[in-house]
Amino acid sequence: MKRASLLFSLAALLLRGGYAQTAQSAASQAPQNPPAVAPRNATSPAVRTGSAAPAVPSYKDLKYPALKPISIPNVETFTLSNGMKVFLLEDHELPVVSGTALVRTGNLFDPADKVGLASITGMAMRTGGTKGKTGDELDRQLEDVAASVETEIGETSGSVSFSALKENTDEVLGVFRDVLTQPEFRQDKIDLAKTELRGSIARRNDEAHGISQREFANIVYGKDTPYGWDIEYATVDRITRDDLINFYQRYFFPANILLGVTGDFNTAEMKTKLEQLFGGWKAQQPPVPAFPAVRSAAQPGSFLAVKTDVTQTFFVLGHQGGVFRDKDYPALEVMADILGGGFHSRLFQRVRTRMGNAYEISAVWGANYDHPGLFEIEGSTKSPSTVDTIKAIREEVERIRSAEVTDAELQTAKDSALNSLVFAYDTRVKTLRRMLTYEYFGYPKDFIQVYQKGLAAVTKQDVLRVAKKYLNPANFTLVAVGNPQDFGQQLEALGGPVSTIDLTIPSPTAETAKRDSSSLAGGKQLLQRVQQAVGGAEKLAAVKDYTEVADFQIEPAAGGFRTKQTDIWISPTYFRQENELPVGKVVAYSDGKTGWIATPQGQAPLGGAQLKQVQGALFRSYFRLLLSDQIPGRTVNLLEPDTLEISDGGEVARLVVNPQTGLPDRIMYDSVAVSGPAISVVNQYGDFREVDGVKVPHKIEIMQGGRKFADVTVSDYKFNAGIKAEDLNKRP
Amino acid sequence: VKAFSLFAVILFAPLVSPAQDIKEFEKKVTEFSLANGMHFILVERHEAPVVSFHTYVNAGSADDPSGLTGIAHMFEHMAFKGTESIGTRNWPEEKKALEGIEVAYDRLDAERNKGARANEQRVQTLDAELHTAIDRAQNLVEPNEYTRIIEENGGVGLNADTGVDATEYFYSLPSNRIELWFLLESQRFLHPVFREFYKERDVVLEENRMRVESSPQGKLVQNFLATAFEAQPYRNPPGGWPSDIVNLRLADAQAFYNKYYVPANIAIAIVGDVDPTAAKRMAERYFGALPNRPLPPLLHTTEPAQDGPKSVVVESPSQPLAIVGYKRPDQYDKDDPVYDILSLVLSSGRTGLMYEDLVRDKRIALAAEAADTFPDGRYPNLFLFFLVPASGHTVEENEKALDAVLERLKSTKLDEETLARVKTKARATVIHRLDSNSSLANLLTTYYGNYGDWRKLFTSLDELNKVTADDVQRVARACFVEQSRTVAYTVQPKQAQPATGERQ
Repeated sequence: MKRASLLFSLAALLLRGGYAQTAQSAASQAPQNPPAVAPRNATSPAVRTGSAAPAVPSYKDLKYPALKPISIPNVETFTLSNGMKVFLLEDHELPVVSGTALVRTGNLFDPADKVGLASITGMAMRTGGTKGKTGDELDRQLEDVAASVETEIGETSGSVSFSALKENTDEVLGVFRDVLTQPEFRQDKIDLAKTELRGSIARRNDEAHGISQREFANIVYGKDTPYGWDIEYATVDRITRDDLINFYQRYFFPANILLGVTGDFNTAEMKTKLEQLFGGWKAQQPPVPAFPAVRSAAQPGSFLAVKTDVTQTFFVLGHQGGVFRDKDYPALEVMADILGGGFHSRLFQRVRTRMGNAYEISAVWGANYDHPGLFEIEGSTKSPSTVDTIKAIREEVERIRSAEVTDAELQTAKDSALNSLVFAYDTRVKTLRRMLTYEYFGYPKDFIQVYQKGLAAVTKQDVLRVAKKYLNPANFTLVAVGNPQDFGQQLEALGGPVSTIDLTIPSPTAETAKRDSSSLAGGKQLLQRVQQAVGGAEKLAAVKDYTEVADFQIEPAAGGFRTKQTDIWISPTYFRQENELPVGKVVAYSDGKTGWIATPQGQAPLGGAQLKQVQGALFRSYFRLLLSDQIPGRTVNLLEPDTLEISDGGEVARLVVNPQTGLPDRIMYDSVAVSGPAISVVNQYGDFREVDGVKVPHKIEIMQGGRKFADVTVSDYKFNAGIKAEDLNKRP
Repeated sequence: VKAFSLFAVILFAPLVSPAQDIKEFEKKVTEFSLANGMHFILVERHEAPVVSFHTYVNAGSADDPSGLTGIAHMFEHMAFKGTESIGTRNWPEEKKALEGIEVAYDRLDAERNKGARANEQRVQTLDAELHTAIDRAQNLVEPNEYTRIIEENGGVGLNADTGVDATEYFYSLPSNRIELWFLLESQRFLHPVFREFYKERDVVLEENRMRVESSPQGKLVQNFLATAFEAQPYRNPPGGWPSDIVNLRLADAQAFYNKYYVPANIAIAIVGDVDPTAAKRMAERYFGALPNRPLPPLLHTTEPAQDGPKSVVVESPSQPLAIVGYKRPDQYDKDDPVYDILSLVLSSGRTGLMYEDLVRDKRIALAAEAADTFPDGRYPNLFLFFLVPASGHTVEENEKALDAVLERLKSTKLDEETLARVKTKARATVIHRLDSNSSLANLLTTYYGNYGDWRKLFTSLDELNKVTADDVQRVARACFVEQSRTVAYTVQPKQAQPATGERQ
């Protein structure tokens, strides 16, 4: 599961051009003695013209002195009397002290119905203040001395960290201790955290790249384990302060914490200080269990998420990856680097340099310490070159699986990784962080040296072997986010089925009201009164299809235009709607499960919010809704003397009955929106006229989100014209 | 002063004075200019055998000639394509093939330039010939050799950045390979070859689709700048307009390079495990050959005074976003430090006024931030606000709340406690950024490039310390006025929302 995050920052506003999307980075590991670069076999000697020959050597002739040895500092390790493990590393370059308490917890422990609990706990633990001080008071106190104390809970760990000027160390350590050991979780900051999470849910479909990343992970990890879960409105709404306190108490106890401190201090003094600060904290809990295992949830095939406001398709292609301690990890790193690792990679050369089809293109053998990461090939290309680009990528995957890489490719990949390992050790903070991480995940202290040896030993045969063993194109999941109307060639051209991803953001599950036998009996009674008032249940049931022509007058605030709308329905769930909009004709069709939409710009499968809207409309179809007591799976519950709640487990609608006439007065429901929370809709009925013995409303006023949206005037109704389902499915 | 990174976690603030900071810091610095005017700043930090390089060119997208927007960025991409000896399989042959492309392109342009009288058939034939010429040259390329050399020698953080006022090139290497950087960096400016120009132009167009056309924020900013500025080139997107980019020619990049990439317009910082004596020797050896040429002209187009508030509405199906900007003077103005203080008072950490009011207390925004300089500072620019409404809250609500916060700054004098806090933070932010080699190299060249002296990085803190509550009020009153405001915000596209099934 991914952490909800706000992608908005000022920095992103500067639309600066760069050479690469993110600065190219090397492996985050480190060597003791980086090997010297072996002389390269020049595959094609450069020819220089005499006059242009620079008075400098060729880069091939440069000689480099041996790299100075890196001294890896000694980290002092001990355990406090309460069981908290401590790692101290002095660093006197600057007059500062900083530290991190690493806590074994994570959002993988979120309950299924309260996804987001760990994140909110991580936010409110600091902002909600301590027993003695509110979060706002801490803000002032810390910022006055340019210090910080921050808390966060991610996927597989939680942290409380601090940083301070040397002379404020004691004061800031005190705040750090209080935040770690006695957070108060004040309600106002829980509410603030919820506001932030709701905002990030509402905005999660705004950027195509984010959609592709999220949906790929969700599909490849699957919904059976938390790795494939999203935070939803409903799960956030259920979280209470008690939940936060319980979550905190379960995971924040001394024996479950590794504390690392680095900076300008004396180790012996710091030892004493920490014992004084934390020795009295005796909280105990049973050991924290292992994180849930990843299940193999391969869903090969193509998945399309429709987003119409983009000119590029953002895609991710791949399957599950591995863990760092795999014996084959170094070879997989080298393989992925040659395939799509840097500027020298095959995918960069083919898709970007030669085809000019992408700015961003990369392949990563994703690994984690404790659970399989994701093997991902990702990039973005202009909509019309979507299929060509993905075909080229698939060819490159085939190529690396079917023949050995060249000596030069192997050398470049290994040199890149080995020569850059020094950057993993270039600061003391990095050294301490790595040590904590290895300890946290139970890796050997010398893992980096093991990795370095592994890298140095990788051969061309290894690269081919791991490519064949671990890359499984038949098992690839492709997630493409874009505008299929501009694709030219559709994703079907890649072979295999194409599924549409439903990006609808679920609104909080409409919690249905309490029901018992008397309210259900009352519901049935009231609905039967309605059936009677409109002409009788038999007359209603006799309508097997209808065609309705209506004039739609949209309010000025919502666009202010008129449109002619024709709805055709066949029992039970075939539906076609034609709209004559100012922009042209829009036709949609659904059989209740799938469907399509045709606009002047082109056609597309019906997906996401649109499909949900149609399904909702079919649930509320006049003739079905009024016969809900006869449809299996539906419940009709009496809420108030003239209000019914009708639901089928998913859809919920309320029907208010005119107490005088017994006719439907209005229906109320929540309609899904493409993004953001659901919109509450009220359809107010009027002008009932009889058609073939059934009273149907000929005037409908539509309110959305408490505001008037449109007036609908029905000009014609026809029942039982004998329309066939295949007629409805005819594309314009 | 350049905009600080506003949401960065503050690490520490030294209690020593800026003057002492400089004295301590200067001990590690070696600074010199070559005879051709190229300037070097070296900082010794021997803690680890690594070194970071930063090349700062005083030319950016604001210098793009009219009709050729995007050329500064296009050149930056070309600077990774190699030289006469790096990136080619056979330079004499490739040189001919590259000339062949230009001849073919000239013929195509000549026909196209006939406008309505152009022969469509002939245009197609010439276009096909152009593509054949491009393919011929492509076969003589050793692809991405320049970047590959850096990568296999352990280079990290390799990238470049075309900004509005400047273009920057940077990466880090293990320190025993310093000479490789001297060789590669000097060669790309001494003997650049603009190979694969037209394929790279496609890549740049893809970059624009990704950053601007497919991003709600990208579209919003583009509209905002084009509205706020009428005449001054800050109105153009830094990457250029797509219709300009698609017509850029190799000769345009060459002309831009000749005019702006002159040694005296370039500053370089090398920070890390570096021996200054050896580095100076290599600087002369490798960069000394760059011919001394006159400095490029400054921009003369001045933005006319704004006659009244402006706004622009951008249709986007995404959740609402808004940008508000007020005109402000350039970074050389005497009030520049006051603008820095203002932005820190308004948004920094959890005690910024905008965070406290819009995010924390009213909960109408998910983010509400300020930047004192946008899009860049060498010429008069904008004091910027970025508003991200919370769900169920509107841009209007956020704008109103922002107005009230600004009104408070204008009507009430800032309390001394807040003023002291932001001054401490300002110094902490700067000093924190000295911590990493690459960030330090970036800062030193940026301050040298903008102010002619890296010491401004420290002395600007002295100027901040002198700012009074009266200054803050005076500048707030002068700057945050309706007449010089520009607002850009998104709205849902106007169309029948319920294209399907919204009622029954």
